[in-house]
Amino acid sequence: MDIILNLLPHIINGLALGLLFALIALGFMLIVGVMELINLAHGSLFALGAYIAMTLIDPNIAGWGSFGVWYMELSLTLRYVIGLALAPAFVAIVGMGLEICMRRTYGKKAEYGLLLTFGAALVIEESIRIIWGSSEQFLPVPEMVSGAFIAGGMIYSNYRFFAAGFGIFMIALVWLFLEKTPYGSIIKAGAHDSEMVRALGVNLTVLRLMVFGLGASLSAVAGVILTPIWGLRPHVGVDVVIPAFLIIVLGGIGSFWGAVVAGILVGLVVGIFGAYASEWSLMSMYILLIIVITFRTRGLFGKKSALEN
Amino acid sequence: MNNALAKPTPIITKPMIALFVMLGTFPLWGEAVGLYHYLGVEIVIWIIYALGFNLLLGYTGLPSFGHGAYFGVGAYAYGLVQLGLIESVWAGVLVAVIAGAVAAGIVACFLSHRRGIYYALMTIAFGQVFWFIAMKWHTVTGGEDGLLNIYRGTLSFGVFDVSLRDNVPLFYFVFAVLIIVVICLWRLVHSPFGKALQAIRMNEMRAGFVGYNVWLIKWTVFMLSGAIAGLAGGLFAITQESAYPDVMGLHASGYIVMLTLIGGGFVSFWGPVIGAIVFFVARDLLGSITETWLLWYGLMFMAVILFKPEGIAGIWQDLSKKLSRNQKQNAPVVSQHVKAGE
Amino acid sequence: MVSKNFTKTTRVLAAGMAFAAITAGSAVAAEPLIIGLTSDASGQYANSGASDRRGMQMAIAEFNAKGGVLGREIKIVHIDTETTPATGSRVAERMISRENVGFMIGAVSSGVANAISQVAQKYGVVYLNTNSSSPTESGKNCHRVKFVWDGNGKNFAQAAVKNAISSYGKDWLLLTNDYVWGHNTSKATRQLAVSHGAKIIDEIMVPQGTRDFSATLLKVQQKNPKVIAAAVGGDDLKALRQQVGQLDMGAKYAWINNQQDWPDVYGLPMKNLFGVFGTTWYYKLDLPGVDDFVKRYQAMYPDTKIRVPGNVFYNGYWATRSLLEAIETAGTTNNHAVIKQLEKLRIPAATRMQHDDAYMDAKTHQMQQTVYLATANTGSNDKDDMFRILSNSSPEKVADMAAQSTCNLESFADTPVVTR
Repeated sequence: MDIILNLLPHIINGLALGLLFALIALGFMLIVGVMELINLAHGSLFALGAYIAMTLIDPNIAGWGSFGVWYMELSLTLRYVIGLALAPAFVAIVGMGLEICMRRTYGKKAEYGLLLTFGAALVIEESIRIIWGSSEQFLPVPEMVSGAFIAGGMIYSNYRFFAAGFGIFMIALVWLFLEKTPYGSIIKAGAHDSEMVRALGVNLTVLRLMVFGLGASLSAVAGVILTPIWGLRPHVGVDVVIPAFLIIVLGGIGSFWGAVVAGILVGLVVGIFGAYASEWSLMSMYILLIIVITFRTRGLFGKKSALEN
Repeated sequence: MNNALAKPTPIITKPMIALFVMLGTFPLWGEAVGLYHYLGVEIVIWIIYALGFNLLLGYTGLPSFGHGAYFGVGAYAYGLVQLGLIESVWAGVLVAVIAGAVAAGIVACFLSHRRGIYYALMTIAFGQVFWFIAMKWHTVTGGEDGLLNIYRGTLSFGVFDVSLRDNVPLFYFVFAVLIIVVICLWRLVHSPFGKALQAIRMNEMRAGFVGYNVWLIKWTVFMLSGAIAGLAGGLFAITQESAYPDVMGLHASGYIVMLTLIGGGFVSFWGPVIGAIVFFVARDLLGSITETWLLWYGLMFMAVILFKPEGIAGIWQDLSKKLSRNQKQNAPVVSQHVKAGE
Repeated sequence: MVSKNFTKTTRVLAAGMAFAAITAGSAVAAEPLIIGLTSDASGQYANSGASDRRGMQMAIAEFNAKGGVLGREIKIVHIDTETTPATGSRVAERMISRENVGFMIGAVSSGVANAISQVAQKYGVVYLNTNSSSPTESGKNCHRVKFVWDGNGKNFAQAAVKNAISSYGKDWLLLTNDYVWGHNTSKATRQLAVSHGAKIIDEIMVPQGTRDFSATLLKVQQKNPKVIAAAVGGDDLKALRQQVGQLDMGAKYAWINNQQDWPDVYGLPMKNLFGVFGTTWYYKLDLPGVDDFVKRYQAMYPDTKIRVPGNVFYNGYWATRSLLEAIETAGTTNNHAVIKQLEKLRIPAATRMQHDDAYMDAKTHQMQQTVYLATANTGSNDKDDMFRILSNSSPEKVADMAAQSTCNLESFADTPVVTR
């Protein structure tokens, strides 16, 4: 009984952490799944989203005139919502710009796309450093989701549960979009057979542009949600790409639920290792991956993908 | 490739001689053009590393994104031999090669029945495992501080000794190693084994049907590539007089992929050589001109991929093709992939 | 290269005392002395590196305004060391063999400092480690050419531990970053705490690169200690701060942190600055000269986000200034003469704006200086005034005794002679 009581908080924590991992992987998953492109700029877009949101939530209003004064009088919650909504939109535009560059690599080896996004990652990270400086900053969150609560004698962070809840919301939103809207059907069809989609009269160029924009904006959403926990610095995105990559492969490329399940699994493993063998907590996800991939070639729910060739 | 079947490949070719002459005279002209000897040493080491890496990426089409691990293993092996066993450059280098080969050989057992992205990801995961061990096992590796005070030592040739303390003798030592590596690899890629590698790159399944033992070939090439990375790592430990975990990190592993591609590893044997030179010289120059060098560096990569994905070797091939077309009317059709002799 | 040196130098000169610079510039006929700045501009310590560099530049600008050193103008070469040791080696080689620098200054990461100092020792070029606080820097990795200007983990532990036991209690939990610096720091804390009667109830190791401390913080609550001594560094500490702040756990336990670097915490919410921590200097120390120093900083860097100088800037400034003064006293840039001067360096408290005289330990090459304990200055209206200084300890009280036995400096005979 004691063991269970001792373990329970860590399981709850692991689940919450897992939802955050799934949220991190969402944008990455969409781009890999549909375009079969490994987007190494995912982390930089994540950071860019957070920086833009920070600027929207807590801007330097000098030079904005009366609009600035009016804007700062809005409540923090309202400004936060504006940041959470607009930052991903800006990042979507950046993502679309990247996709336009990307077009020259289609039909060539996957490594070229990978390298292009790696270059873009460097450019975005350095641009952040130039625009916002290299110092540690923070992204303010509304009063109602900050602070902590006590349950069973343990302190939990409100924000972490808000973030996990938001993770569920985003997962549901993306799932609904993919499954219940005509756009989603086209995107999914495009993932399986681009020739067929083209034959059906869908403009593949526009489709890819949209998917990349959407993926980039999901990276930005993850950035806005995660950086109040991790802190905000220009290279914060470096810590995102590998977990995202790992979760996608663990779940199986092209599988939506695979990524979600893998995210939660990684969260649980990292959370429980963090409690009982903390020095191995970061390593545990790699070990998990090696074990799973050794026995299941395409991850948990993977389908055959062009990226295998 | 048709040519290669018709007549045996020469051991020494014209580009090889050009490279050897250019690098061999570097200590004479390097400082005059604003470079320095130490940079030359690093570049030669990375050329060795990149040539070995391209055996995997360019010839066999196997993307390894955690190759820094074997480079690092070589560096640590060299350092541990010097600090704990025997102060001998030869012994250190030999152990570095073996350590790289063993580490890669073990990992290859897990990798060789994988393809594409799963292959790439497993290499990353193993790369992280090695990095983690290097950080964690600090009683042996020195953790984040690394192994320090690995003195450069003296090359003993029996009758006479050469001290590697200065950068110029060290440069000629790594250059001599490079000559051996280039000649061996050139033979290797033009041997039946080299043909098998290319067959696997073009179509793994078909290569299997033709009768190649695909698993064994993939295992062997990874192990070989790891051994060469280990060799380069050992030389790097001599040069830096230390072995650091950073070379095993994800970034360092990414750099080797980048420079191989930028140089044109997919289209030419010499791609990685060009890539290593451009990569390091550009980084050194940009780094000394501006603090925001990463920005320009990133833009440079994007530009190469956008406008010349075949890399710098691709530009060179286009130029020489144009030249030969001017000379001969009927130029042969050139394949997009690694071409012998270019 | 040329254009960069030129613009940098002019910017520094203009920002300093322009009038004096012009007269000095025309008076200087001798060849300029080139100093290499090896601080990080990218990677984990980019921000601290920039602060460090500003300190060095201010000291150099002040000297140039007075006519340089030994009548020679001082020029700067800066190359990014990327918070990566392997790059540190290359940069040091380039600076010495290609840029002909006479001296090198700057480090935040101990790995980079080690890499640079090894190359520096090989050539005999004097190198100042301004801001790396790893005890190994003046312990087993010390060098004849290297001088260390920051207080190290052991100094800060000495200052904090005894007090904490008497005021907060005996049940201690160690929270340790699982790498060499973390282990060294936690070992020092453990020894001190145990010898003063504390009970270590557990040690939680967190791997380097940890971004999520939720499991660790739950575990901490389950163990319920009185005091938590944290040896967590770099970006990991930044994430930890953020998460402890969110849980309001800063007030629930007595946290003993190691040094908190000013550029790392400047501008963050007060809640993130939990517990007690060390520092070597604070801009609101009630000492003569401090205000003037702050004004000089603000005059020279009007556009910098960090509006007041902190400990990293202070160390960068003082290392550079002391070096240049040592060159003046020695009357030569000969490295052996300068090293000998630095080894007997002693700076009065009033000049250095600390509570006690500071002096160089000739055996370990670490600057012995006052160490302050501070905590968050909650309730202050001044956004810049983030620290409340709790105590100051004299260098003798916080000395790192172990360094004396682990450091083994190369002899002068083994250190090549350089005069540039």
